[in-house]
Amino acid sequence: MKKTEHARYKLFSGVGFLMFVGGLILVKSFPAAEDYMLVLPYLCIGIGTGVFGYNLGELLKFAAVKKDPAAAKQIEIETKDERNVTIALKAKSKAYDLMTMVFAALLLAFAMMSAELYIILTFTAAYLFIVGTNAYYLIKYRKEM
Amino acid sequence: MNNRLEEIRKLHGIKQEELAAVLEVSRQTIGSLENGRYNPSILLAFKIARYFNMRIEDIFIYEED
Repeated sequence: MKKTEHARYKLFSGVGFLMFVGGLILVKSFPAAEDYMLVLPYLCIGIGTGVFGYNLGELLKFAAVKKDPAAAKQIEIETKDERNVTIALKAKSKAYDLMTMVFAALLLAFAMMSAELYIILTFTAAYLFIVGTNAYYLIKYRKEM
Repeated sequence: MNNRLEEIRKLHGIKQEELAAVLEVSRQTIGSLENGRYNPSILLAFKIARYFNMRIEDIFIYEED
């Protein structure tokens, strides 16, 4: 792990922790909050916990492998191993195919349930964004390879 | 594609773990290559061939369908 990467994990774990504590303080300070102030503290707690947990985990992993260079090398080999990378990409590809089908089915279901237009439009935008990203990378990689 | 990796490795008297460490791949990758479940990238094929001081086609046998 590079020094900058280590500093980044430290910074983000601090930011995550502050968000979490800030969220808790907001919940306690404004029990009768309305509108967005009702959601904001819980959003802070949720995001803060996630950011703090992930970055702390990376820091602990760094501390563990620092003591054991052989384990660090093995982790690096496992991460870069071409078969492992191929397996991960194949699994991701299958999940993507399934996700587009699930998205389409959900979109159809919401439309048939006469859901609010903004829900259907949000779903459509998300679906098109994903399909658009796929098309973008297809073109990009065709040019590169 | 078939290969003679297991046979060649055993001829050289090295374990899967040792070959994996030299090639910087996982032991499972060596196992999968030997079983024919996984075909290596051209880079890995070169690394294997160089390690055994052989040609790629002496280790990996291409078979047309």
